[in-house]
Amino acid sequence: MAIIFPGDSDMNDQRKGSDAEPTTHFGYKNVPESQKAEKVAEVFHSVAAKYDLMNDVLSGGMHRLWKRFAIELSGVRVGNKVLDIAGGTGDLARKFSQLVGPTGEVVLADINASMLKVGRDRLLDLGVAGNVQFVQADAEKLPFPDNHFDCVTIAFGLRNVTHKEDAIASMLRVLKPGGRLLVLEFSKPTNKIMSKVYDAYSFAFMPLAGKLITNDSESYRYLAESIRMHPDQETLKAMMVQAGFDRVTYHNMTSGIVALHRGIKP
Amino acid sequence: MLLRGLIASVERGLNRVLRMDGTALPRLARLQGKVIEIDCLSPALQLFILPSDEGLLLASQWAAPADCTLRAPASSLVQLALSKDKTAVLHSPQVDLSGDSAVLLDLVKVLQDLELDWEYELQQWLGPVATQLFSGHVHSRARWARQGFDSLSQNLGEFLAEESRTLVGEREAEARFAELDQLKIDTERLEARIERLSRSLDSSDNA
Repeated sequence: MAIIFPGDSDMNDQRKGSDAEPTTHFGYKNVPESQKAEKVAEVFHSVAAKYDLMNDVLSGGMHRLWKRFAIELSGVRVGNKVLDIAGGTGDLARKFSQLVGPTGEVVLADINASMLKVGRDRLLDLGVAGNVQFVQADAEKLPFPDNHFDCVTIAFGLRNVTHKEDAIASMLRVLKPGGRLLVLEFSKPTNKIMSKVYDAYSFAFMPLAGKLITNDSESYRYLAESIRMHPDQETLKAMMVQAGFDRVTYHNMTSGIVALHRGIKP
Repeated sequence: MLLRGLIASVERGLNRVLRMDGTALPRLARLQGKVIEIDCLSPALQLFILPSDEGLLLASQWAAPADCTLRAPASSLVQLALSKDKTAVLHSPQVDLSGDSAVLLDLVKVLQDLELDWEYELQQWLGPVATQLFSGHVHSRARWARQGFDSLSQNLGEFLAEESRTLVGEREAEARFAELDQLKIDTERLEARIERLSRSLDSSDNA
């Protein structure tokens, strides 16, 4: 099986292998497209139970501030309809539920049943109910009507999607004109020293922490590799513009380790 | 990001305090959906406050327009927070309030009316018996301190006014102020008479 290294400039998912079936990356590995979703699902089934704990440990709690920034830029108001794709354990959905109020609607969507279950249980335990729905859905083929949502968010989920262009197009379709897409995702550090430190941290500490806490170092090796294979800030911006989004901007956070892209549906 | 972290910590602490008052959250729920922007001019700092039934959401920026915007220097904001007569501060020239001011005043009223049930919170940690003993001790100490402070301020006032004569007594000062007021009124009356007299003299000269 071919290995793709982070230095490879081609971030396109539609890579062709030697056989007939198109291939895509799964971390640094190249796998047939039909297998990626299944492999990603295995990763998240494995980490779902301790997902929040691992997020706190690996990011030092920073993921809460990154998500907070996404909420600030969402501009969500009472009565809005919000779709949180790859919503995982429901961090964003919880805040959105509070912001849209009883007249609004929040849909927490995730392709992974284990993550969705953890998210649903967690929100119900916190008393978040009434205006939140839980939907198991594929970001590439969202099962919602056209022009339905005021805001669509995907936090730390896009890099796991096999066909990112299809997912972005699908998000554009379900947004109302004037609606906002927010993509919160790991990106490329803007500082060279930070980049070196981050590489060392990702490939040494993250798998070790995964081994110690969830007894699964491979999933966290995949996390580090998938971050390197994800399009950088400018590439993702270009993809959003290509899909048809208007006024696409991005904000780097923590020296570009994470970036928040925002686009408006014209 | 540092500021965002700081704001998140303040929000967490503030909401914890708000939960200690049984009436605060239902009252804040009535303000759900409103966005209040506090724009501190010096130092330059923006803060958005979004009330809801879970407390307050604080943000350093907000993409949607605010319902009420308060622009003022930090000194005026502190004065506004501490002053009992908020309307007077809001009408001062340094303070600019735009949008729906009722939202801001309602929020301030909720915060002013807070009656924190700290004993309930303490009970979660220490249990009912220990909390009762501790709170009884704290209440008696607080009562003693309040009485002591009142007594001290009264004695000090009497000493300075009556014994050392360093300060003028309150009643004596009020009498002197009344005399000064009367003198001021008399002077103004005299001034008006002189004015009228001079006008009548001028008119007779012209005739």
